[in-house]
Amino acid sequence: MTMEQEIEVLDQFPVGMRVLAVDDDQTCLRILQTLLQRCQYHVTTTNQAQTALELLRENKNKFDLVISDVDMPDMDGFKLLELVGLEMDLPVIMLSAHSDPKYVMKGVKHGACDYLLKPVRIEELKNIWQHVVRKSKLKKNKSNVSNGSGNCDKANRKRKEQYEEEEEEERGNDNDDPTAQKKPRVLWTHELHNKFLAAVDHLGVERAVPKKILDLMNVDKLTRENVASHLQKFRVALKKVSDDAIQQANRAAIDSHFMQMNSQKGLGGFYHHHRGIPVGSGQFHGGTTMMRHYSSNRNLGRLNSLGAGMFQPVSSSFPRNHNDGGNIIQGLPLEELQINNNINRAFPSFTSQQNSPMVAPSNLLLLEGNPQSSSLPSNPGFSPHFEISKRLEHWSNAALSTNIPQSDVHSKPDTLEWNAFCDSASPLVNPNLDTNPASLCRNTGFGSTNAAQTDFFYPLQMNQQPANNSGPVTEAQLFRSSNPNEGLLMGQQKLQSGLMASDAGSLDDRVNSLMTQEQSQSDFSEGDWDLDGLAHSEHAYEKLHFPFSLSA
Amino acid sequence: MDTLIAQLQRQFRDYTISLYHQGFLDDQFTELKKLQDECSPDFVAEVVTLFFEDCEKLISNMARALDQTGNVDFKLVGSSVHQLKGSSSSVGAKRVKGLCITLKECCDTQNYEGCVRCLQQVDIEYKTLKAKLQDLFNLEQQIVQAGGRIPQVDI
Repeated sequence: MTMEQEIEVLDQFPVGMRVLAVDDDQTCLRILQTLLQRCQYHVTTTNQAQTALELLRENKNKFDLVISDVDMPDMDGFKLLELVGLEMDLPVIMLSAHSDPKYVMKGVKHGACDYLLKPVRIEELKNIWQHVVRKSKLKKNKSNVSNGSGNCDKANRKRKEQYEEEEEEERGNDNDDPTAQKKPRVLWTHELHNKFLAAVDHLGVERAVPKKILDLMNVDKLTRENVASHLQKFRVALKKVSDDAIQQANRAAIDSHFMQMNSQKGLGGFYHHHRGIPVGSGQFHGGTTMMRHYSSNRNLGRLNSLGAGMFQPVSSSFPRNHNDGGNIIQGLPLEELQINNNINRAFPSFTSQQNSPMVAPSNLLLLEGNPQSSSLPSNPGFSPHFEISKRLEHWSNAALSTNIPQSDVHSKPDTLEWNAFCDSASPLVNPNLDTNPASLCRNTGFGSTNAAQTDFFYPLQMNQQPANNSGPVTEAQLFRSSNPNEGLLMGQQKLQSGLMASDAGSLDDRVNSLMTQEQSQSDFSEGDWDLDGLAHSEHAYEKLHFPFSLSA
Repeated sequence: MDTLIAQLQRQFRDYTISLYHQGFLDDQFTELKKLQDECSPDFVAEVVTLFFEDCEKLISNMARALDQTGNVDFKLVGSSVHQLKGSSSSVGAKRVKGLCITLKECCDTQNYEGCVRCLQQVDIEYKTLKAKLQDLFNLEQQIVQAGGRIPQVDI
């Protein structure tokens, strides 16, 4: 069955999904039960973890998903989580009044698909079904995954810069063994990021190289690759933030500068492009921003080759969020995040670039140009992932204690840079999906819908259509390391759920989404953006490289 | 002419709004109301009843723990208040939740006096809320009995 077909099958899926809800607090349990029933799930409740286990053991196929409170008298919620994961391999969502990142981290480590804070809102529960889909897709894909990223790899090889080697390694690794998922995703918690910042500070931004940063950070199990990708994103974010004001003032100047750069270097053109393009606010349909957020849902590999971050007409086509010209993000819950500002500022106004000689921008514009029109209808895959961001935020909020309007436990992120940084993380890495980056690039032109694109975005698309279901799954599958308890999965899923359409309107103050997004998308930054031979053609995308090393 | 129903409805509306303004209830309570429908017509009443039961139980647990002068199990108090915080936030009992947060802090710092004071306040607060919600439900019943519809109150 093709992905599309599978998606069709999933059409009726969320309705009737069998959920087992566990919480020793009778008030919360009653509310949870009603909320779940309102989402049209089939709910079984128990206030004892032991009973829950028995119910699950009795018939492994009786339930699709488990939601459990963390603090329970008869058994620690994390323990239950572990057991369920091991014995039944069902997705488990943790529920708690603890917003402390420690707990969230613990949840992730024990294999939770998601971590919700009390009071739970119905919007959050509406998307939990994606975890079920993801899990089942993951299982399926483990056997189906093919490794077809060789082409892109070779193409990219030519255009490496500073992080060339690392990038290649990562890609190579991912591509060689996509199903192994051997790279455990690192969750860049606030703490971890602070260490990173301290190291970078110590070395100096210009001189900060992954190896040295890694040494300075001295964190167990952190690899140079993790640091490298994080550093890339960080640099991008820094650039965006610092160039913000300048861009607005010197739009024209920057454009020409960009062109210059493009012709001179080829590499990192994209990167510089971003920088050069004035933020111009309204012009860009927030697509870029969207992209960033959405990118988390996309195949990072693809994004890389496509200069993915820029491609996200899909985002702009997101019905909910689409505002003409304006910052689409604003329509999204994300707007509550500071990041929005950064994002908007960071993204060049592509629309204005339409006639610019720069290929990248033009190409991007192409994408941009077809925001609501072609992209969405033709590419069901492209759906805004606002919810995902939201989700991530929620999730990461616990970890990062970002400032979220709703919850009283969230606090503002420390720096805008961090926000921007996290935010830029978006691109999704999906080595598995990156089967034919070259073709993806080629088919680009968001203006032109092509199967490749659809395919490309497929995994991560979380839109209201069933198609979205496969997204999270794929992504999860990609990002998940072989150890089910590892890292990102939760964030990924959260991301996905966050992006779930629509109604969920209210944005949880979960900043983390950015971080999580970033995590999962880490590969994005690792992608190559190559502006060689930019031409006013769709094929230009193919050549886009995201320069790792480009720095101010 | 102001009918009885209209009067009752106005009273209901005003009372509800005042509860929000005075900080007794918050958005979460509104969410609960949204979940109430023909299939579960007494949902809110059910849930708040469960909540007040929880309050009683947890508060007495905590009081008992604090009574063990010289050997107070602050961990127990902490976990009880944590649970109370969770349920109060789930029903929208804003003031109770706020006090739980304060009480939690006292527990964490093992501030005995603070805990005792806070607990007393929590006790008073939940009872006050209980009485007010009871009044609100009574009003609802009166409206229904008079043949009227319970108005949708937008806060």
